[in-house]
Amino acid sequence: MNLELLFVNFPYFVAIILFSLGTLIVLTQTNLIKKVIGINILQSAIFLFFIILGDIQGGVPPIYDPNFPDALYVNPLPSTLMLTGIVVSFSVTAFALALIVKLYLFYGTICAPNFMKLK
Amino acid sequence: MVSVLELPFLCIIGTLVAAFCMPVLARWKRNFCAPLATIVTGAVFITTIIIAYHVMHGEPIRYAVSGWAPPWGIEIVVESLSSMMLMLLSGISFLILIFSFPAIKHEMEHKVIGWYYTAFLLTLAGMMGLVISNDIFNFYVFIEVTGLGACSLVAAKGTRQATEAALKYLLLATIGSGFILFGIGFLYMITGHLNLTFIAQELALVKDSYPFLIWTSLSFFTVGFGVKAALFPLHLWLPDAHSSAASPSSAVLSSLVVKVYIIAFLKILLIAFGLEIFHETFIRHLILVLSIIAMLAGSFFAFVQIELKRRLAYSTVAQVGYIFLGIGLGTPWGLAAGMLHIVVHAFMKTCLFLTAGAFYYQTGIKKVNQFAGMGYKMPITMGAFTIAAFSMVGIPLFGGFISKYGLALGSLEADLPLIILVIIISGLLNATYYFPIIGQAYFSQDGEEHSHGHSSHAEDNRNNAHAEHETPGKFQIDQVPLSMLVPIVILALGIIYLGISPGIVLDFINKTVVALL
Repeated sequence: MNLELLFVNFPYFVAIILFSLGTLIVLTQTNLIKKVIGINILQSAIFLFFIILGDIQGGVPPIYDPNFPDALYVNPLPSTLMLTGIVVSFSVTAFALALIVKLYLFYGTICAPNFMKLK
Repeated sequence: MVSVLELPFLCIIGTLVAAFCMPVLARWKRNFCAPLATIVTGAVFITTIIIAYHVMHGEPIRYAVSGWAPPWGIEIVVESLSSMMLMLLSGISFLILIFSFPAIKHEMEHKVIGWYYTAFLLTLAGMMGLVISNDIFNFYVFIEVTGLGACSLVAAKGTRQATEAALKYLLLATIGSGFILFGIGFLYMITGHLNLTFIAQELALVKDSYPFLIWTSLSFFTVGFGVKAALFPLHLWLPDAHSSAASPSSAVLSSLVVKVYIIAFLKILLIAFGLEIFHETFIRHLILVLSIIAMLAGSFFAFVQIELKRRLAYSTVAQVGYIFLGIGLGTPWGLAAGMLHIVVHAFMKTCLFLTAGAFYYQTGIKKVNQFAGMGYKMPITMGAFTIAAFSMVGIPLFGGFISKYGLALGSLEADLPLIILVIIISGLLNATYYFPIIGQAYFSQDGEEHSHGHSSHAEDNRNNAHAEHETPGKFQIDQVPLSMLVPIVILALGIIYLGISPGIVLDFINKTVVALL
């Protein structure tokens, strides 16, 4: 394994680690708010992944400058896609929190295993 | 004048606009919500018939949204399979909305009725968009629209179980769409395109340079769509969500929402990757094994459920296994039968959930051991239930037989004759959990004995009291409103029609499958 390659591509590893961490938090935590935080970590990992996809080392913003006709431009498309992703993430979080508030009104707790006892 | 090319786009826009009119309308005149939603869906259904006619007798519709040419803009492609799915989605939704008139008033609080129609139309718009889009990032957006709409359909019931199930569904569905988005990212990384057609062209050139990335991307898609479409080990959200929602919501969730994800997965698989990569990366074998486990385990789990809607929900897990089996076989007959099973199952499961809603409406029963004498109390509804159950089992002359027969032919084509045995065992398991209900309904007379112990609601007691001063076993016509009976009867007739002449549907499917393989 080439160690240098690993250092050059470390943002990808960060994205993958954050994604796994987010999934793990959603699946193992019993506190519902922590589950929502896990969802947010998972989605942030995806945003990070898309933003590094478009990035080039030494790239400049994709605005045409006549002084530097052969400049290396960063790909703006993945970053713009993630604007949509952020909106989706926001609405999912809002909906999940609304449901948690409703569950809190029903049960008086936001810890999932307690629901079974209170039924 | 609107050209036929713009019609699919207008269908989605129209449904979305109607969806957001509903809460406003509900504040002003609550009773107008249901008719308006039904009229809009009916208009969309008629439009999709025009689209389907055009597609069948001409070229597939290709439309660049807002005039941006394909590699940069979003493209809408309606080939024959998509046009059939559009018809199926809007047609079944139309029937469910007719059924909703009395059922929703009975099962939900009055102040959430406007929101129910919003969620329903949003889900419909998301599903139609997912079926006709040709842009993978657009897929993600529509997947999220459908997912959020479906979660709010569950949550709209407002009970404890429904709220819990909706949260569970939301969290797992978000993980699923996260996986799908990651897969889209990998695909964009390899090819630099978001349009499926261009991805396919690019992928054919660079396939050998990135073996691991292609494998990773396809795995992410498989897990993501597996969670969304409830492929067996990833099905955990489905039984809770589908059994705790109101019966019209369960019908749309179980028969349509789960299927559009399979269509989207199939489009990514066949158009972008192609069957060759699917086979080489061993994802095909994985899906084959998982679908076989799903067919058996889903039926086993359904067998042990006491609550009718829960039993139907687990049956959906098994039926999704059949559809994935068609994809996993990867032969023309297998794929066609899998797609046919989407149509047949949409009819069957809608019919079963709607009859479950009708049983609850008239008698208040929810458990499978309370069906004694039901064939005499509600003959039309019980008849439709029987037809749908026979079709589920795969008895000839009913729709389910044709798709299972097709799957058997597909497994012969794929040189895996043992899968026929699995199909037969799964069919027999279906029989073990549907036939006791039917037998009890027609050949058992002790209706009162059973219905005493289980009634928990005040309205149940009223209904039981009502039932008591009728002689048990006396034949009488159903006491449910006509708008509940008509969709049920249409669906039952549809199942028989599909069983006798599936030719038209198979024409739609084969035209696409042949073009894609």
